[in-house]
Amino acid sequence: MKNEITLQTRRQFLRSTVLGSALTWTVPAFLADTFAALHSEAADSAKQIITGKDASILVVLQMAGGNDGINTVVPYTNDYYRNARPKLGLTAQQVLSLNGEIGFHNALTGFKNLYDAGHLTVVQGVGYPNPNRSHFRSSEIWQTASDADKVEKYGWLGRYFDNACTGCDPTVGVDIGGQMPQSFYAQTPTGISLANPQNYRFMSPGRFRPGQVDLLEESYEKMNEMPDAADAAPDVNSGGSIGALAAGMPQPGGSVLHFIERTALDAQMSSDQIRAIVARVKNQVSYPSTKLAGDLKLVAQLIAGGLPTRVYYVSQGGYDTHVNQAGTQQRLLKELGDAVNAFVGDLKAQGNLQRVLVMTFSEFGRRVTENASGGTDHGAAAPMFVIGDKVKAGLLGRYPSLAPQDLFEGDIKYTVDFRSVYAGVLESWLKTRSAPILGRQFEALPLV
Amino acid sequence: MLKALPAARWDYDTAAHLLNRAGFGGPPSVIETLAGLNPDDALSTLLDYERYADPTPAPDWAKPDPEGVKQLREAARNATPDERRKLYQAEMRVQFQRLMELRGWWLNRMAKGPRPFQEKMVLFWHGHFATSFDKVRNAYYMWRQNELFRRLATGNWQELLTFAGKDPAMLIWLDQAQSRRPHANENFAREVMELFSLGIGNYTEQDVTEGARALTGWSLDPLNQEYVYRPLFHDNSIKTFLGRTGNLDGDDVIAQIVAQPAAAPFITAKLWNYFAGQAPSDELNGALADAFRENGNNFKPFLRIMFRSEEFYDPVIVRNQVKSPVQWLVGTARVLECDLPPTMICEGILRQLGQDLFAPPNVKGWDGGIAWITTTTLLDRYNTAAILVQGADVPRARLEAMQQMTPMTGNPSEAWGKRVHVGGVDVDTILSPDERMDKDRLVAALQHRLLQSALKGDQAKALGDFLNARDRLNEADIRAAIRLVMCTPEYQVT
Repeated sequence: MKNEITLQTRRQFLRSTVLGSALTWTVPAFLADTFAALHSEAADSAKQIITGKDASILVVLQMAGGNDGINTVVPYTNDYYRNARPKLGLTAQQVLSLNGEIGFHNALTGFKNLYDAGHLTVVQGVGYPNPNRSHFRSSEIWQTASDADKVEKYGWLGRYFDNACTGCDPTVGVDIGGQMPQSFYAQTPTGISLANPQNYRFMSPGRFRPGQVDLLEESYEKMNEMPDAADAAPDVNSGGSIGALAAGMPQPGGSVLHFIERTALDAQMSSDQIRAIVARVKNQVSYPSTKLAGDLKLVAQLIAGGLPTRVYYVSQGGYDTHVNQAGTQQRLLKELGDAVNAFVGDLKAQGNLQRVLVMTFSEFGRRVTENASGGTDHGAAAPMFVIGDKVKAGLLGRYPSLAPQDLFEGDIKYTVDFRSVYAGVLESWLKTRSAPILGRQFEALPLV
Repeated sequence: MLKALPAARWDYDTAAHLLNRAGFGGPPSVIETLAGLNPDDALSTLLDYERYADPTPAPDWAKPDPEGVKQLREAARNATPDERRKLYQAEMRVQFQRLMELRGWWLNRMAKGPRPFQEKMVLFWHGHFATSFDKVRNAYYMWRQNELFRRLATGNWQELLTFAGKDPAMLIWLDQAQSRRPHANENFAREVMELFSLGIGNYTEQDVTEGARALTGWSLDPLNQEYVYRPLFHDNSIKTFLGRTGNLDGDDVIAQIVAQPAAAPFITAKLWNYFAGQAPSDELNGALADAFRENGNNFKPFLRIMFRSEEFYDPVIVRNQVKSPVQWLVGTARVLECDLPPTMICEGILRQLGQDLFAPPNVKGWDGGIAWITTTTLLDRYNTAAILVQGADVPRARLEAMQQMTPMTGNPSEAWGKRVHVGGVDVDTILSPDERMDKDRLVAALQHRLLQSALKGDQAKALGDFLNARDRLNEADIRAAIRLVMCTPEYQVT
């Protein structure tokens, strides 16, 4: 009993030090809300969140591997398309037509459903100048929102956390999966990574004497405390040379130990919150039994449970279809559309859809001409999907020309810079200035 | 340019650092032995591993099986679609079972074998050439690649890169087996330069397409399960690749790559990062690349210079590397002088911690470094520590099936039956009677063995308080204390 009380007090102390120090600065209103919510029992009630003046939420969905955008949003009436894709080309019967010229791949019934309901925007021809065909370099460009010839150390969402969420609860960014996405890399490491909520705690298996488990857990907490975390020196290597290493290889800013201490504290702080939500909140609809659907299902639970999160990150892999693309892409797009469709239905039933925006991206599209192995090689621009209650539904931007004279080294040219999409998301959705985060002012695409 | 570590600095701490990085660490007794040698001899006990017999036999299925391939083909040819699916599923069950055995086979070489440095290099090459069973779908091919890395672990760069390109698992993994004129598949041609040898910026897109054409013909004989050159696939026209023009083939491509000025610094930076835990400065890497070239692009003499250098023992290097999940798991078994848990458990542990052996996330391999640590993987490490130290309860039937290599059938919850306790640390082996009785000595001994450095004051006090809550320590208390030391940020670095 006594242990429990000290435990409670110490945690509150920890939170006040870490979060409280930030409150002494002037901070955006949502942060104050977040802080207040954290200390109030009522914050755990989904009802409160729905009716309250609550912050918007962004869900980033990565389609890893380079999705073939041309066979996703298909220009099925285009002669150049049919010539370039003798085997892989989809016919009018094999697409879900949007306007008589362009249609979704037939596996995307979930997206067609959302499109028809006015919840989905297709941003066409998204890319960047001097496209890179390396998975890793191009992913890095998307994740850090850098120019193709510059290497940025931090991710664009990490810079958002650094700029707008200093001192936030660690759960301001939540990655579903074991690996932190590069877009979360920040000067002040922020965000948690969550795979299985049941295991997201310190556990004490085995046979112990009465009371020993509590003592063990308390000792673990003390051995992982770091009361000076908030005051720790910021990362001094910012902007430093990355040397001869392949770009993107994570390098610690301060000492490695300091980074782990910080992570240990975040884990300790977020563990109780998350388990409580998952135990209490039920999903409102049933989801397909795919991994992506499972991840989005968890995100929906956390949203309903009122976690003070602004950005969720989920990913789906497998889009690197050099060989036998037809079956693979069919399966992946079906997984994608069905999972997102269920997720939107769940949010709608919760009454939270108006707070949530989903944005997809892939590191590149693929070559216009198919290869000899029934697949496609790495390309450039591709469509993005933006999904939510209030989106400007329909087709945004212009479908890039497939005419051979308009291609660059066999790839379509981008018509929308991806950073314009990011700027639109940051300004009109997350309500923050985009220039400090993206390095300069990009035209903010009107998404909502 | 690289300075040798003065012999006077060779002591317990530097010896421990070498053993941690060039191997998987070890108990105090092994570190003391190393520290008692002169640094060259100490290094030699790790690097010159050929002097120790390699006692581990290959798994009995680790050989080509043309008869099996033929039978499966014929059975599939005469089968209905439904039967064909069942045949395929049965075959995959066998392959997954072998994959598990392969993982255990390799992990035990790392944890128990007499050649830890060789296995550490095999692990480097596995992460470097990052080939996954997910696409290869054949345990024999994965084993064969692993053996290739072992055979050429510290050999010549051009030889290794050539064999790695012609390796069956790689031919499948990066689609080279299917690449044929006139539309060559660019997958291998791109990654061999970008990820394996030169890095971005040191070749052009034209080099990718021309290189892909030159590489056509490198293919796989799926019956005899080995590399084959297919003249009909090969593009015999003139190509220009990295400045050389002619009717080039795959061997020319590799030779031309290794001759590039960017080749040596690319691989030396990656090796330095793997062993030292951070990117080398440009100046340091210049010296490393020179040493590599001066030694004919051979890895062993280069690595001997690297491990002997004063730079490698710099305070910013020592105890400033995140343990990879494999290092964490295997190192724990070595340091606590205990067995690894059954392979089925090790598999699950490594998957959760983010380093599924034979299944890297993509062709770039594991990012490593601080990317190993997230809130999730850190809690997983802390909870896994309990399994390693206290042992685990495993379904008996599953354990027996695994030991006899028979595939499991039926509903797991019904068929797997009672659980048995396996593994765990023997506290009598690693602690003296005094250390087991005296709490202060116990705290000191655990720090010395597990961290080779000290806990922070508050942490040591918390550990002391935990022990002081007991009058007499029993085994469970001591195991819990070991686990607590493993549940610190300090235990995650090496």
